[in-house]
Amino acid sequence: MKFKIKTIWRVKRFDRLDQEANKQRCDVAVLIMFLFMVTFCARLWHLQVVQGEHFREQSERNRIRSVRLQPPRGKILDRTGRLLAGVKPCFNVCLVREDVGDMEALLAKLSPLLGETEAGIRTRLGSEHKGPKYVPIVIKRGAEWETLSRIESRLFSLPGVFIEVTPARKYPYGSIAPHLLGYLGEISREDIVKERYKGARLGDLVGKCGVEERFENDLAGIKGRRRLEVDAGGRLVRVIDEKPPVPGKDLYLSIDLDLQQASEEAMKGYVGALVALDPQTGRILALVSSPAFDPDAFATGINNEEWKALNDPVSRPLQNKALQGRYAPASTFKIVMAAAALQEGIVTKNTSFKCTSRFRLGRSVFRCWDWRGHGRTNLYKALVESCDIYFYQVGLKLGIEKIAKYAKAFGLGSKTGIDLPNESRGLIATLDWKLGRYHEPWQEGETLITAIGQGFTLVTPLQMACLTAAVANGGTLYSPVYLEKMTGPDGHIVTSFESDPKDKLPISEANLRIIRRALLGVVEDKKGTGKQCKLPDVHVAGKTGTAQVIGQDKRRQDKKLDWEHRDHAWFVAYAPAEKPELAVAVLCEHAGHGGSVAAPVARKVFETWFQIQSPLPVLGPHKTAFNVNNIELLAVSY
Amino acid sequence: MLDRRFLEHFDWWLFLAVLLLMAIGFVNLNSGSAATGYPFQWKQLQWYIAGTILMLSLVIFFDYRLLTVYSVHIYLIMVFMLILVVFIGKTVGGSQRWLSLGFMNIQPSELAKLATVIVLSSYFYHDDRPQYGLTDLWRPFLLMLVPIFLIYHQPDLGTALFLMLIFASLVYMARLKWTSFLLLLGSAIAAFPVAWEFLKPYQRDRIMDFIFPGRDPLGAGYHISQSKIAIGSGQILGKGYMKGSQAQLNFLPEVHTDFAFSIWAEEWGWFGAVILLGIFFLMLYRGFLIASQSRERFGAFLAFGITAMLFWQVVINIGMVMGLVPVVGIPLPLISYGGSSVFTTLIGVGLLLNVRSRRFMFQKGTGTR
Repeated sequence: MKFKIKTIWRVKRFDRLDQEANKQRCDVAVLIMFLFMVTFCARLWHLQVVQGEHFREQSERNRIRSVRLQPPRGKILDRTGRLLAGVKPCFNVCLVREDVGDMEALLAKLSPLLGETEAGIRTRLGSEHKGPKYVPIVIKRGAEWETLSRIESRLFSLPGVFIEVTPARKYPYGSIAPHLLGYLGEISREDIVKERYKGARLGDLVGKCGVEERFENDLAGIKGRRRLEVDAGGRLVRVIDEKPPVPGKDLYLSIDLDLQQASEEAMKGYVGALVALDPQTGRILALVSSPAFDPDAFATGINNEEWKALNDPVSRPLQNKALQGRYAPASTFKIVMAAAALQEGIVTKNTSFKCTSRFRLGRSVFRCWDWRGHGRTNLYKALVESCDIYFYQVGLKLGIEKIAKYAKAFGLGSKTGIDLPNESRGLIATLDWKLGRYHEPWQEGETLITAIGQGFTLVTPLQMACLTAAVANGGTLYSPVYLEKMTGPDGHIVTSFESDPKDKLPISEANLRIIRRALLGVVEDKKGTGKQCKLPDVHVAGKTGTAQVIGQDKRRQDKKLDWEHRDHAWFVAYAPAEKPELAVAVLCEHAGHGGSVAAPVARKVFETWFQIQSPLPVLGPHKTAFNVNNIELLAVSY
Repeated sequence: MLDRRFLEHFDWWLFLAVLLLMAIGFVNLNSGSAATGYPFQWKQLQWYIAGTILMLSLVIFFDYRLLTVYSVHIYLIMVFMLILVVFIGKTVGGSQRWLSLGFMNIQPSELAKLATVIVLSSYFYHDDRPQYGLTDLWRPFLLMLVPIFLIYHQPDLGTALFLMLIFASLVYMARLKWTSFLLLLGSAIAAFPVAWEFLKPYQRDRIMDFIFPGRDPLGAGYHISQSKIAIGSGQILGKGYMKGSQAQLNFLPEVHTDFAFSIWAEEWGWFGAVILLGIFFLMLYRGFLIASQSRERFGAFLAFGITAMLFWQVVINIGMVMGLVPVVGIPLPLISYGGSSVFTTLIGVGLLLNVRSRRFMFQKGTGTR
């Protein structure tokens, strides 16, 4: 290596002849460079001095303006092709600052015409002052007909002002599933700097959440442009050329309009979420987060009060609670517990424990929800009557790690994989998690409350819906999809969306059958906690849940609880029990018992679904081959 | 380690010219950024500062003679990066030219200009002949063909032809036989109709627009006619800083990159433009001087090649915005916005200063150290 380095330094020097030749070639190069520079100076002299006057005049007359042509935004339709969100023209009053001579005079004239204060218009202008002067600024979006006609007739005395037509959203059936569809709002400065959307600029409307945001690039289409020659006052002289816009693509959702409307109606008055999906395919048929909001409001601008109402800390209308709400699953979690216990061989379907409504562990006493106790309880009874004592025992035998393992296998504690941003993961606690988070070891009592779905465990309504669907369809866990297909403007299909099975439940078919039979009992049996979801013609299977939000001891002290201390009501169900077509998860925040509040909501959803499903004649239970007793024979083979 | 003679030989004139160019570049971009509404000038300032630090450390801590050994590595890295662009390059405006590093996008075809100079200088240093004929040149030509093809493929015809120009410049430095020169010239003319067939429609348009200006003032020739209006309307003294209507009202495209000179000429007039040309002249003159005073072959070729690279960029860019050369995307060194271009230029200048500063090592009697 040393030798090598040394040889590098020993570069060959020029001899005298070479040095001469080298210098000569460099001199020629300098001469050539000098000639180029002189040519450039002469050319500049020719352009700037000889022809300068001519070019100065041209630059002053140079008033070619490029106008963007907005493509119609793609439509959003339901699975049968009914329009959920269409387009309508929206008239904006715009201003090009470059063309305004006297801004003060113009504002004085505009203010009464628009019915807004000068200061109001000024803030609108001021907030976008940074952009180039020739870019039009929207000073009034969605102007009404009267305002428009007033301005239109005076346009000649308002230099720099013009009226622009842009496509806006129209909702023919009113606002449907606003959390899923999303809304349009003005693009943020950050999105522009990051060039998130091609060709977008300040003042443009872009999708802000849900489908509108996720498929912004497909729905928006490609903007066209028209080049105009205008005179010094900004008036059109002639159209030079035009590149037409390309309309956006249409999106067909898997949502069913009727079912969605009925679900929204059923959830009215509750704060919470509802998810209905097809258990055989994982397609979402209805997705509700309550309360709803008005997506139109965002496009035209929201005042302070409306904004406050939208961010109400109690009802949180902007949050999509189906994906982002995190709740204790309460007794609905017993489905997971029962499956785990059967699969691990801790219980058989005949194993029974005695429930005296009290369970002692060390110095603490854990109670069953029913103060009378359930007596001797086997798995079927424990699920149907939702006995807590039974699952305390099962939980203790399983241990927290096994519980967590099965909960995760049922899709809890991880994202379902729905194609929407900001989905919550929920939480499934383990020993390590608690050590990492609280630096404290796990307590056995915590295993008990985890076993009945309380404690640290948090799930989203969407996760529960997928779980229910998996139990219903025989163990296939789907990543839910809300899309059918995307079509081009001419109707041909660009993309078809298929849901793919994400996982298989680690539960044997026989064990699943035992659980399904018990879930049927929850609704059909006299003592079942979910009997308020019973339908006359169709067998429903489900599980109730009542999630406590404060400790047991606290609720003793005062009888009537404040709203925010009341229980969350859960109900998960599927129907028909024999061949499931629809799986539903309902959550109502602080509404009371799952059986009395959430189950009736689910019943309305099932009623609507089976009404849609006619023309098929629905047979009464006495006429069909499937009645409760027959199912027992068919489904449970022992 | 710093030799006293080292500072004595440092080319302060060249250094001054580069500093002036960066100052003008920043001031001019400040105006161009106001027009585009995006703060390019601050990013550019970062490139300037980082590039200057790199340039000075190259002069102090690096000996350019090491390049004679590492030219093979440099060549392979260049080709590798250009191949990488083919596979994972970022596409902007229809051509795939950038590699994304997360914090910045680099343009390997910019760096390839400098790499080409180094590699060819090293080749001609090792293959020392008094004169070259066509048969002596097929090897370096083949060496060049790989990067040229990869860049042409992006597609970036301008830079591909630019590499040919660098090759030609270094062949001139190495001395071509007269007979070979005439043969080359003849075959180039004969090949023109064939090359025409290979050009893309927009490229043909640009050449036609150049030959027949005003053929289609709103089509392909739009850029040039707007640029000429910008320069011409500056007249003798210019419209004043930040007041160039052509640039500020966005009639001029790409004000921050290819057409940076146009705003300068619009806002500062003939005097401003000539002063800028003067500073470029100073920089290039010092560069050629370093080449002519170098005492050994590699340094002379390296200095000549780098200076020629800068010279052709200045000529093509300024010629283009004035309508003397067809439209090609070649940036103006240190004036156009772009990290890769700034780095390439400053590293190049760093090598020039390096060759000059180490001249004393070849003084009488001390051929080796």
